[in-house]
Amino acid sequence: MHAGMNEWDGRLAALADFDPPVDGWAAVLAARRQRESRLTMRWPAALAAVVLTAALGLGWWLQSAQRELATASLPAPTAYALASAGIRAENERLEWMLATLPERHAMRGSTAFTLAELEDRLALLDDHLSRVNLEPNAPERAERLWRERVDLMHSLVQVRYADAIGTR
Amino acid sequence: MARIADIDIPAPVVAAARSGDAAALEAVYHATAGPVYTLLRRLVRRPAIAEELLQETFVDVLEHIDAFEGRCPLAAWVRSIAVNRALMYLRSPWHRSLEWLDKDPGGADRLPAIDSGALTDEDAGLERALMTLPALTRAVVWLHDVEGFTHSEIGTALGRTPSFSKSQLSRAHARLRNLLGAEATLAEGTTCTPA
Repeated sequence: MHAGMNEWDGRLAALADFDPPVDGWAAVLAARRQRESRLTMRWPAALAAVVLTAALGLGWWLQSAQRELATASLPAPTAYALASAGIRAENERLEWMLATLPERHAMRGSTAFTLAELEDRLALLDDHLSRVNLEPNAPERAERLWRERVDLMHSLVQVRYADAIGTR
Repeated sequence: MARIADIDIPAPVVAAARSGDAAALEAVYHATAGPVYTLLRRLVRRPAIAEELLQETFVDVLEHIDAFEGRCPLAAWVRSIAVNRALMYLRSPWHRSLEWLDKDPGGADRLPAIDSGALTDEDAGLERALMTLPALTRAVVWLHDVEGFTHSEIGTALGRTPSFSKSQLSRAHARLRNLLGAEATLAEGTTCTPA
């Protein structure tokens, strides 16, 4: 199951454990009772919500059907899908390049700071990307975020590459 | 610390827990709560949130134990619930707003200090360095290096590709090395020497 050992496995595993809260089991049982009572109290509201959602969904479906009929003669919008596939392929290419660059055990403080900044921004972007499907205008927003990610990856590869070259 | 998946829960206890036996379920809690809480503390940092997630994890266990099919160790099943709970939290707007609040304008972290009384200097340094990693990156590191997840499993859990997990891990290791190197240099520089 384990993908492979590295220098960190043992060191991280050796860090001290945290003690779970005292009376944790009692708290679990109390939380379960609370969850059950919430569910019991909520079913009339849930039923109303289901009815409302179904009504709104039906309305939305009728509107969509009307729009589809009105635009049936237009060509299929495949440009977005193609563009997204291209962006993602570029992103994967950059990830691969980054992985092939040699790792540094020591580097200048300013370089380390720049890399940390870029990595933080990447992590934030990745977080946004993981949630973007839930947002309105998801395809457009996702494409914009992927483009930003590719730009950041370009910067990251450039900094890492320059650093690697500079040390030879 | 042993991996959670390696925690051995006797087969009769597992069988009784699956049938809803209260004493067996409590035994499962006591066998796994410590390591699961440690995992959650590493992933979410804040003790209060980790306690809440621990509670939610075991409420899920109580409610869905009949769905456990025994294809993996029970402890691994409990762990998967805890990991899902933690990742759901890390993706939530609530978590992002807390992360924002944790940072002072000057960049100082306002989280409670790590209780380093029982730690060696080296361990305390590693603990601090680990906590400076972004949340998802830290999750990748902990799940891979300590819990033994493969990149494919991490990719699936995070809704990403295995290569995302690999690149995050590689960058995190480099960053840990840098941070620990900087800390060691600082410590050397402040060593008192006789005049």
